[in-house]
Amino acid sequence: MTGKQKKQISQAIQIVLILITIFVMLVPILWIFMAAFKNHIDVFQLKLFFTPTLENFGTVFEAPYHLGMKLWNSTIVAFVTVALAIPIATMAAYSFSRFRLRGKTAMLVVILATQFMPAVVIILPFFVMFRDVGLLDTRIGLVLVNLAIVMPFAIWMIKGFIDGIPIDTEEAAMVDGSSRIMVIRNIVLPMAAPGLLTAGIFCFIIAWNEFLFALILTNKDAVTLPIGLALFKAEEGDLWNLLSAAGIIIMLPMFILALIIRKYFVQGMTMGAVR
Amino acid sequence: MRDNTLKYLLVLPAILVVFATAIWPLIESLRLSFTVGRFSVPGSLEQYLGWENFAWAFTQEPAFWNAVRVTAIYTVLTVGLTTTMALGLALLLAPGGKFRAGVQTILILPFAMSPALIGVSFRFMFNPEFGLFDAFFGVLIPPLADVSWLADPILAFAVCVMADVWGWIPFLTLVLIGGLASIPQDTIEAAQVDGASNWRVFKDITIPQLAPVLAVVIILKSIFSLKTFDQIFMLTNGGPGTATQTLSHYIYFNGMKYGQIGYAASVAWLMVIPMIVLAYAYTKFVFRKD
Amino acid sequence: MASVILKNLTKCWGDFIGVDNQSLDIQDHEFLVLLGPSGCGKTTTMRMIAGLEDPTDGEIWIGDRMVNDDLPKDRHVAMVFQNYGLYPHMTVFDNIAYPLRVRGTPKGEIEPRVKKAAGQVELIELLHRKPKALSGGQRQRVALARAIVRTPRVFLMDEPLSNLDAKLRVTMRAELKHLSRELKITTIYVTHDQIEAMTLADRIAVMKDGIIQQVGTPDEIYNDPASLFVAGFIGSPAMNLINGSVQDGYFVTTGGTKLVAVSVPDKPDVVLGVRADDMRISEEGEGDIDARIYAFEHTGEATLLTVQWGTQRVIVRGARHLRKEQGEIVSISLGSDHLYLFNPDTGKRIRG
Repeated sequence: MTGKQKKQISQAIQIVLILITIFVMLVPILWIFMAAFKNHIDVFQLKLFFTPTLENFGTVFEAPYHLGMKLWNSTIVAFVTVALAIPIATMAAYSFSRFRLRGKTAMLVVILATQFMPAVVIILPFFVMFRDVGLLDTRIGLVLVNLAIVMPFAIWMIKGFIDGIPIDTEEAAMVDGSSRIMVIRNIVLPMAAPGLLTAGIFCFIIAWNEFLFALILTNKDAVTLPIGLALFKAEEGDLWNLLSAAGIIIMLPMFILALIIRKYFVQGMTMGAVR
Repeated sequence: MRDNTLKYLLVLPAILVVFATAIWPLIESLRLSFTVGRFSVPGSLEQYLGWENFAWAFTQEPAFWNAVRVTAIYTVLTVGLTTTMALGLALLLAPGGKFRAGVQTILILPFAMSPALIGVSFRFMFNPEFGLFDAFFGVLIPPLADVSWLADPILAFAVCVMADVWGWIPFLTLVLIGGLASIPQDTIEAAQVDGASNWRVFKDITIPQLAPVLAVVIILKSIFSLKTFDQIFMLTNGGPGTATQTLSHYIYFNGMKYGQIGYAASVAWLMVIPMIVLAYAYTKFVFRKD
Repeated sequence: MASVILKNLTKCWGDFIGVDNQSLDIQDHEFLVLLGPSGCGKTTTMRMIAGLEDPTDGEIWIGDRMVNDDLPKDRHVAMVFQNYGLYPHMTVFDNIAYPLRVRGTPKGEIEPRVKKAAGQVELIELLHRKPKALSGGQRQRVALARAIVRTPRVFLMDEPLSNLDAKLRVTMRAELKHLSRELKITTIYVTHDQIEAMTLADRIAVMKDGIIQQVGTPDEIYNDPASLFVAGFIGSPAMNLINGSVQDGYFVTTGGTKLVAVSVPDKPDVVLGVRADDMRISEEGEGDIDARIYAFEHTGEATLLTVQWGTQRVIVRGARHLRKEQGEIVSISLGSDHLYLFNPDTGKRIRG
């Protein structure tokens, strides 16, 4: 065999392996997409061809499922979490990026480390406290605990973006006559805007997908979409067509958001450790 | 305003938030772990108990040791499988080009899926009557045709591992592709010119230079594997029996279902300790450059 | 427009001393170049003048005001950065207008002044572009225009040409010189490039290890270096430094060759400095010392001979049409005019 032939065969094997991977990765997602458009009976047969119906998407919003309310809760909680986290994180990230602070490394390490603490540890005291002050099953309560998981990500991600802005530009603005506050407003914020948007989307996805906190803290009024999945159980078993429709409502917006920031997705998760 | 004041004012709100939402609950959990801490007993959240919760977990609770064992095996398997498979896939996809870049984009999708939903979809895929994977494995390995995956302790555990690996491969692959891309191409070309085979290039040049990224990947994945809760909860809810009950799930059940907050907090803190070790190792890598 | 005076200026980071108790008077209208290798403290000195770095000790005066406690924005200086520091989200026009806007210049005044500044650096056609769409030289011009659009008291330029390619650097250097003569504004210019320093400066301050080694006109720095460091740093090729001693009014090389008459008292250890241009090449046996050609280079407008005797190598500039082969023996003569003797221990010049 010549070198060229060897190369071609190796290429072909690689392509086949990649195709198998895509298949394995996409099949569960596609299966859910299909089930969401199937009627109750088609689900129970391994059918590839069926008459699609939109009925399931109507049913999930009706009684007794009321997915609309959960959708609303999820949206509000994720939005407010991001709206609080991003400005606070941006201020801190700028300071961490540009100034020498006493105990800076220690602060950054602690912030990073809190990210890795098991959520069950954090939620136990919150449950006790919320029970006492009446924040159980409220959206505010959920926003507060979501900040615990979102803030470290936001600070580290935004710090990474600000680190990437050349300091020359800021110094030029200061010599040109700007105060520090003006520099932040006129120079840093516009330049960091794509990064802030990315961090915002990233945090939105995390808050949207959050499960354990909502499972423990909510039971009726503030239930979010992922918890809502547990509703679709009937005496005869899971209602897969409805579950799938709800699943699409949960994941489709996140797919779109994730694709918007795909360039930064990995970087965000590892928070600058891999570059 | 002078920078010297401003710089501390800017970090203050963030520090307060992190303290209130992460540091305080950690400390409060630690306190709770030394109390009687039962919802059904008024005042017990302040009733000091000493080390008894910990002693109870170690000596009186086979279920605790079961959860430790499940979590340990689960972590070792998922970290090992995900890392090796992601490394293989990363090597396949690293060369770039339109096709491979497109595949990389597709890989983002499973990662944007909530773990709870991954749990649901795998329960769906392994449904004994109409699950696609169930049918698929049935054809591939005939002895598995008639089993009910989630009713068998070992197979249910295997499904949990599969779901985890499925959910994490995309992300780790993308991280490793980033790591591969940062290896200077000329070191690889130099080795090729020097006459090294592909395997030698991989072993002698690629792996040593990828080592820091691999380490980060393994640490990160270990942390997330140890914490696993969402998808187990939706997939098997710890069952059948306690065959797939991880530590997080065990803590959840004791704290929330049985109302034993103090006991749950002490087990939770037993889990914090390996996390601190891993988080420390991780931060070492993050600050390595400075 | 103003003079700049540094009094006992010091900058430390922990144990590291960036600038060590230096004083310097820069006159009104003067073009002063801070020259030195990287890490010598020249940029730190400039950044302290701009207010981007706080001095650990000492005073900075601009005009008749001590500015130590003034913020950068209140010092009325303009600065051109090495990487230009352009605002990527603003057009060229807005970049140049920014210093005027933040200082509250009346709206009607901004446009004519931006256009005038842009005209001075030939940017008129590019005003609507964003920095990303400009070449390196054009970005450099935007940075310059942004500095000259208002009338600062002092211009600060931090290696402004170092990111340009060699050819463009020569062009921009001439433009800078032209502009500075025209504007007559006190300018402090940081560079590690001795040619830039020689061509642009009214006076050069050569720095090393946080200490100003010598301040003087380009002529003084080149022809009358005060120390071994200055002698070796200025000039291309670098000044030849030959180890030896002074015996009976002659400089004798370490190898024992009596090289040239010098008018300093006898001394065991000295370094003789001589530039490549201040030596003559002749045939074997005709000059002061015979040496073997180690390398022969032809640069177009001249030839460069690296010759060697013992372990000592020396570079001599030869005539344009001189042709020699590697390994040939030639003879070198040193004129007595441009010889510099240094104390190798202190690095100080030994004067006759």
